[in-house]
Amino acid sequence: MNLFDRRQFIKNSLGTGAALSLAHATGTALAAATTPPAKPAPLTKNSPGIIDTNVTLFQWPFRKLKYSETPALVAKLRQHHIIEAWAGSFEALLHKDIAGVNERLATECREQAPGFLRPFGTVNLAWADWEEDVRRCHEVHHMPGLRIYPGYQPFNLKHPGLAPLIAMVRERGLILQIVFQMEDPRVHHPLIKLETLDARPLIAPLQAAPGAKVQLLHFSGNVQGSDLQALMAETPAHLDLSRWEGNGAIGRMIGSAPSGSAARVPLERVFFGSHAPYFPVETAVLKLMESPLDRPQLNAIMQGNARRWLPPV
Amino acid sequence: MSPHDFHFNPADYGLPTRDELVAYRIWDSHFHGFYGAQNPIEQFHANQFYVERMGIERSISLEIGGTLAAPLTPSPYDDAIRQLLETHQDRLSGLTPIEPGFPDESCEKMEKWIRRGPCIGIKYVGGNKSGTTCRHPNNDPIIRLAAELNATIYIHTWLKIGGTPRLPGRDNLPGESTPADVAALAQRFPSVRFICGHSGGDWELGVRVIRPHKNIFLEFAGSDPHSGQVDYAVHELGVDRIVWGGHGPSRSYATEIGKVLDASLSRPDRIKILGGNFRGYAAPIFRQKGWKITL
Repeated sequence: MNLFDRRQFIKNSLGTGAALSLAHATGTALAAATTPPAKPAPLTKNSPGIIDTNVTLFQWPFRKLKYSETPALVAKLRQHHIIEAWAGSFEALLHKDIAGVNERLATECREQAPGFLRPFGTVNLAWADWEEDVRRCHEVHHMPGLRIYPGYQPFNLKHPGLAPLIAMVRERGLILQIVFQMEDPRVHHPLIKLETLDARPLIAPLQAAPGAKVQLLHFSGNVQGSDLQALMAETPAHLDLSRWEGNGAIGRMIGSAPSGSAARVPLERVFFGSHAPYFPVETAVLKLMESPLDRPQLNAIMQGNARRWLPPV
Repeated sequence: MSPHDFHFNPADYGLPTRDELVAYRIWDSHFHGFYGAQNPIEQFHANQFYVERMGIERSISLEIGGTLAAPLTPSPYDDAIRQLLETHQDRLSGLTPIEPGFPDESCEKMEKWIRRGPCIGIKYVGGNKSGTTCRHPNNDPIIRLAAELNATIYIHTWLKIGGTPRLPGRDNLPGESTPADVAALAQRFPSVRFICGHSGGDWELGVRVIRPHKNIFLEFAGSDPHSGQVDYAVHELGVDRIVWGGHGPSRSYATEIGKVLDASLSRPDRIKILGGNFRGYAAPIFRQKGWKITL
C-alpha cells in the first residue's frame, strides 16, 4: 500500500498514463523531443517543500556546469520543490578578494531570488583581517551564515583562527558551514592537490562554544567511521546528506533501514543538501524515495531541522 | 516493511514514480550485490529491497565465480550464487571476472561459467596481481573466446590522478585499465563490442579516448554524479553507445538514476540508456542460451 496522499497519487498516475498514451500515439515526433521538465504538484501537508542547505552559485572553476547560471539553477531547484536554498559561491574557493566574493553573492541572491536564495558568504582564515569579512557578511549583507572551504582555502581545521571564528558566529547568531569536499579527489585537475581534511580538530572548538550552529557539508568521514562517531558523540555538529552514498544511505545513517542497523547520526541533525549544481539535484531528492522514511523523518530532513536554525524571510 | 511502501511521492518533486521507473525497464549492468561482504548471499538478499523499491528490472552481477580480488580462485559461495542465478533467472544475470595475467586459466573459467554455466559475459577487474591491463596481448585469446560465446565484455577503467608530474591514470592500481587500454584492445577486435566501465572515472577525458571507437560502449556508474555528464556523453558518442550501471549496494540507485534524469533526453533515449542498449548487446547470448529476452 502506498502511504502518501491517495488522491494525489491517482492524479499523478493518470497524468503519467496520459503521457504514455500520447507517446505511443505520436510516435517519433514525440520521441525526438526532449523530456519536458516535470512540474511539481502544489505544496500540501504530504508534500512539504525542501530546504536545500548546500547549493553554490557562479562558475565552478574547472568546468562549465549545466545549471551554473543562477536563473536556470533557481528554476531547476523549484522544479523539484526546493523552497529555499542556502547558497555559497564557487568564487570563494580560489579568489583572494573575499569582500568582493561576498558582495557579488549577496547581490546575486537579492536580485535573482530574494528569500529563496539565502547567501552564505565566506571568510578565508589564511588571509589577514578575516574578522572584518565576518562583520560585513553579518552587518552589511545581512547574511544568515558563512561557509568555509578548508583545503581550497589554504588552511585546515587545526588553524588557530577556527576557534575564534566559531565563537564569533555563535555570538552573532550566525550559522557556520564547513565544506569537507567539493569533488572526488581522484578526478581533481592535475594542478589541485588537497590534503585529506581531518575532522577531529573540530571537536575541541565545538565543545568550547556550546550552542554554536555548525554544519558539515559533503562530509563522509574516514573509512572506519571513527571521526563521524566522535563528532556525533562529543559535539552538536549537524550534517547535510549530499555525500551519503549506498543504497538506502539515509535510512542506514539515521537507523531506519530494513536491516535494523543502529543510527549513526541523530535524525534531528540531518539537513537536506544537494550539492547542486555540481551534483544533479535529482540524486539527493531521489534518495528520499530510496530510503524507507516515515512522514516525521521526511519532514525533519526536508525542512524541519533546517527551519529550526533559520526562519523564513 | 514492504519495498512498495512510500510516504514520499516523487511525482510531487518532479521525479518519476516507482511505476514510471519500472516502465523505463532498467537493466543494471554494474551490480555488486555479492561484493565486499562477509556473507555475499545475505548482502544480495538485503539489497533486493532496494532493487524492488527502485524498480530495477534486471541486475547483472560482475562477480560470479571466485571474487574480484582473486578471480581464478573458487569462492566458498560459488555454488550458492550459481543456484541464485538459476532461481532468479528472470531478474538476475552474471558476468564472471577473469585475470588477463593468466589467459589459459581465464579461458577455462569462461568455458565453465559461460559455455557450460549461467553467465553471460566477463568482467575485467580494477587491478590484478599480475599487473596486466586489457591492452596486453594476453587478452587476445580471451577476447576470441568471448566473441565465439557472444559474451558481453565489461572492463573496469579509471584515470586516477597521481604521479610526478600529476596526470590522470598515474595513480591507478597495477593491472587497472584506462580507457586508452580499452581503445587499444577494441582496435584489435573491431567486430567485438566492449563496455568501458566507470567512464574512466574522469568522464570528460574518458569519453574523448573512446570516441573514435564505435565498438565501445560507455558505462558511467561508480563515480560521483556530475550534472551534465550524460548530456556530454550523448553529445560526443551518441545515445546508442551508453549503458547504465547501478553499482549497488555501495552506490545508491538514486545517484546513478539521477545522472540520467539530469540529462536533457527524450523518454525513448532514457529507455535506451537505462536498459535498452544493454539488452541489444546481450540479446545474442540470451537467445543462444534459450532465454527469453524482450528488447
